Amino acid sequence: MADKPVYEEASIDGQPPKLASIPASDTTVWADASPLLQAACAGLRDGELIHGDNFNLFAAMSALEIMDPKMDSGIVCTYYSIDEAIENGAAPIPISLDSTIDVRCTIDIMDHLLACEAAWHKGHSLAQTVFSCIYLLRLDRTAPHALLHSYCRIIRATCKAVVSVVSDARTHEEEDLFTMTYGLPLNGDGDDKCLSILNAVEETISRQLRACKATSSKRRLPEDLEPLQSNPNLEEGFCKALLCRLRFRKHFFHVLSCMKRPQGRGLESARKHIASCLTELESILKSADFLRSCFDESCEGDIDDKTTASGFEPIGFDAMLNSRLSAPTPPRAIKILSWKKAVEYFVKLLHDLDVICSYSLDPRLESLLRFVVQFQKSQPDLVARSHLQLLLVQDGKLYGRDPFFAVINKAAALPEATKNHDIQKNESFLQLGMLVMNLLKILCTNAAWQRRKLGKFLQDWRVIYVQLELAFRNEYGEVSSSSNDENTCMKIFQHILLWVEEQTYWIAFRFLILGFELELYSTGEYCMVYWYLYAVLIKLTEKTHLMMAVSHDTAKRKGKKKKDSPKDLARESRIPPAVLFLQCYICLAEGLTMMLAALRNEIPVFHSPSPFNTEHEKFVQHFELLQRACIPDHVSYPSYKESTTHARFSTLAMYNYFKDAQRIAKEVKSSFSNDPERLAELRKLEQVAEHNSVAQNVICRLGALDPSLKVSFEFSHHPFFATVVVKRS
Amino acid sequence: MLLQQQKETRGRERTMEAKPEEKAEFEEAEIEYVSYGGEHHLPLIMNLVDQELSEPYSIFTYRYFVYLWPQLSFLQAFHKGKCVGTVVCKMGEHRNTFRGYIAMLVVIKPYRGRGIATELVTRSIRMMMESGCEEVTLEAEVTNKGALALYGRLGFIRAKRLFHYYLNGVDAFRLKLLFPPPRQVL
Repeated sequence: MADKPVYEEASIDGQPPKLASIPASDTTVWADASPLLQAACAGLRDGELIHGDNFNLFAAMSALEIMDPKMDSGIVCTYYSIDEAIENGAAPIPISLDSTIDVRCTIDIMDHLLACEAAWHKGHSLAQTVFSCIYLLRLDRTAPHALLHSYCRIIRATCKAVVSVVSDARTHEEEDLFTMTYGLPLNGDGDDKCLSILNAVEETISRQLRACKATSSKRRLPEDLEPLQSNPNLEEGFCKALLCRLRFRKHFFHVLSCMKRPQGRGLESARKHIASCLTELESILKSADFLRSCFDESCEGDIDDKTTASGFEPIGFDAMLNSRLSAPTPPRAIKILSWKKAVEYFVKLLHDLDVICSYSLDPRLESLLRFVVQFQKSQPDLVARSHLQLLLVQDGKLYGRDPFFAVINKAAALPEATKNHDIQKNESFLQLGMLVMNLLKILCTNAAWQRRKLGKFLQDWRVIYVQLELAFRNEYGEVSSSSNDENTCMKIFQHILLWVEEQTYWIAFRFLILGFELELYSTGEYCMVYWYLYAVLIKLTEKTHLMMAVSHDTAKRKGKKKKDSPKDLARESRIPPAVLFLQCYICLAEGLTMMLAALRNEIPVFHSPSPFNTEHEKFVQHFELLQRACIPDHVSYPSYKESTTHARFSTLAMYNYFKDAQRIAKEVKSSFSNDPERLAELRKLEQVAEHNSVAQNVICRLGALDPSLKVSFEFSHHPFFATVVVKRS
Repeated sequence: MLLQQQKETRGRERTMEAKPEEKAEFEEAEIEYVSYGGEHHLPLIMNLVDQELSEPYSIFTYRYFVYLWPQLSFLQAFHKGKCVGTVVCKMGEHRNTFRGYIAMLVVIKPYRGRGIATELVTRSIRMMMESGCEEVTLEAEVTNKGALALYGRLGFIRAKRLFHYYLNGVDAFRLKLLFPPPRQVL
């Protein structure tokens, strides 16, 4: 509809509107704007642009040039609508009148859908992957083809279940393409029946398989049953290939439903279905040989790149059909995973889900945090991470079971009386519960997002600490002035403050080491990073040690009130293994800092100034979020400079921190004999320490004398403690 | 909105600096660096970007840059009258910081590995610094080792990793160069 002024301008030459064919309402007045545009063009000089006040980069980048094949997705479409595609026979039903070919094509569709589903899980839009299937887009059409229909239905129901898990968990901030479903027929009627439909089809094919086996062994047909297809030689192979595909879908759907049950009640059943899924995936893989050999025609290209087991192109897919629904970005062609890669993806996903399902739902926060960190080491994809997050936080409670205040209670070793104490209604205490809940959610996100969130999150932990401290002071004055140790409230505050500090340093530690995983540090920055890591570890170790002493104390009070035996006292004076473990980290961080500092101070290659800024600016940028939250207190660029400026090869030779690390790692191993995960970590630490200890000796001996000495850093033994490699060039 | 904006521009900001393959014979001194001189330069720049970067840019994007930052946005390297490289930048307020941004950097293959990209970027950064920018940012593919090394030498740090930033599924690094506070600049 044209604006009035335009109409007036355009009608100057008196020509009537010519666009009568476009439907218009009574109030519509159509006008030809070409003369106006021509006049405007004539008034513009070369390079001028008509734009509004809000013309910005976003607007400029959003513009698409029509008919440019890179930008205009419209011109590369084969079909302009689903109906047009169907009319042109792009998705026939039956797929072929020859029943043997029909079955093979159905299997190809199943395989390509699996590849699409994996591509979707890996970050592409649903519209361009699973819903590139024309059969899925018009599911009701498939009703006469029971096999295809049952498979499409369970696929749709599965996609819906997965979208719901991921949206509920909201761990997908950077992966928001995943849950975009607008315009897609994801909500069909009767999908709750998808399992019974699938079971019926499965039952028929099982009978067909039994029947064909009976025929081949020259026994009588047990019943009057139509075979699956017309070629008796292929009957058994096709039945088997179909059965494993259908059963995989069934068990996978069960896995998703079981895992969604509240308070982890379905985890045990989920594990059984996971095991079944893995078995079926194996059979699916095995069926590839049959599917490739049963037809004389062979397909072109590398079989490993194909999206189907048979290697044939599937019928009934067109990724460009709804490419306009795919995202707020210009649609473009995407690469679907190969069938092999898709199967590999599902194997990994199922293993990741199995790890979640085998977790004991330990109510102790410390072991839970260790579990989540360990789980993330295998780099699980979005779907697995979402399931973990939903299990951990349900209805604002841990596992939907334990209120977070109770979790903190236990973790901070608060006195027994806290449970009924009014203090839990304190605003800061409530907020602390929220922080712990958010921490768990953040730890379930992908590493890149996690690090950014943790960095900002530190500020919140700092604020809560200050608030709690303030509340504590208001109530009790200065800590030192009070001598009433038995006061419950005071004890709660003391424990809580200590615990909050411990958690804050743990988060800071995680923030720093994630930088290694994400490759955010360059070699030239390692010195400052290890120095900062060292500073954070010192505080973390100190708080952990204190916290352990305090919990030990609380535990003892809870137990029998007998006099301390000399044995107990001896045990207390020993440093706990968990603290020694951290001390091993400290030694490695300190050793690397000093070695890197010496290298920087003695070898020019390690000190290459940049033209626009100095090390100071890099320090500010890398540790800005930590510095802003005063983590740790009194740590700054000058203190970094002060502790590293005097490092030389000669000073390095005086003390070998790596030897300490090696000794501690060796000693403490026996304390973790029942903890395979920490035992493995200690082994890695021992290896790094051993290598670096030798490297340090070589550098000290030869570094100053031999200018050809090349020193490099590798993460071959440990993910964040570098192994120093010394070579002569 | 911000997220959407990120998504909208992602995949289009790429910097390329690469392994020398088919090399051109030339002396560094023969390369002439020229600021945007008017409409006649625009097709040269558009061709270069079109050839070397996978992502399409509409004419409006170029207009946007040239209209707002004519001196800054298009700096070109010429060899014997042939345009062999260009850098496209902008400046603006970002969360209370005055920030420079490098949107595109292209040097055609035969001319890579000879410091032309470094020179183009260095000149742009200097201009941003003189114009009062506090920092400069850009995104680069995590796999683009050449670009990462180039910016690393200039003092950029990898501030963030952006998960699946490009539509091909590759992550990006957000690179940042913080200038020293003005009083320290001699």
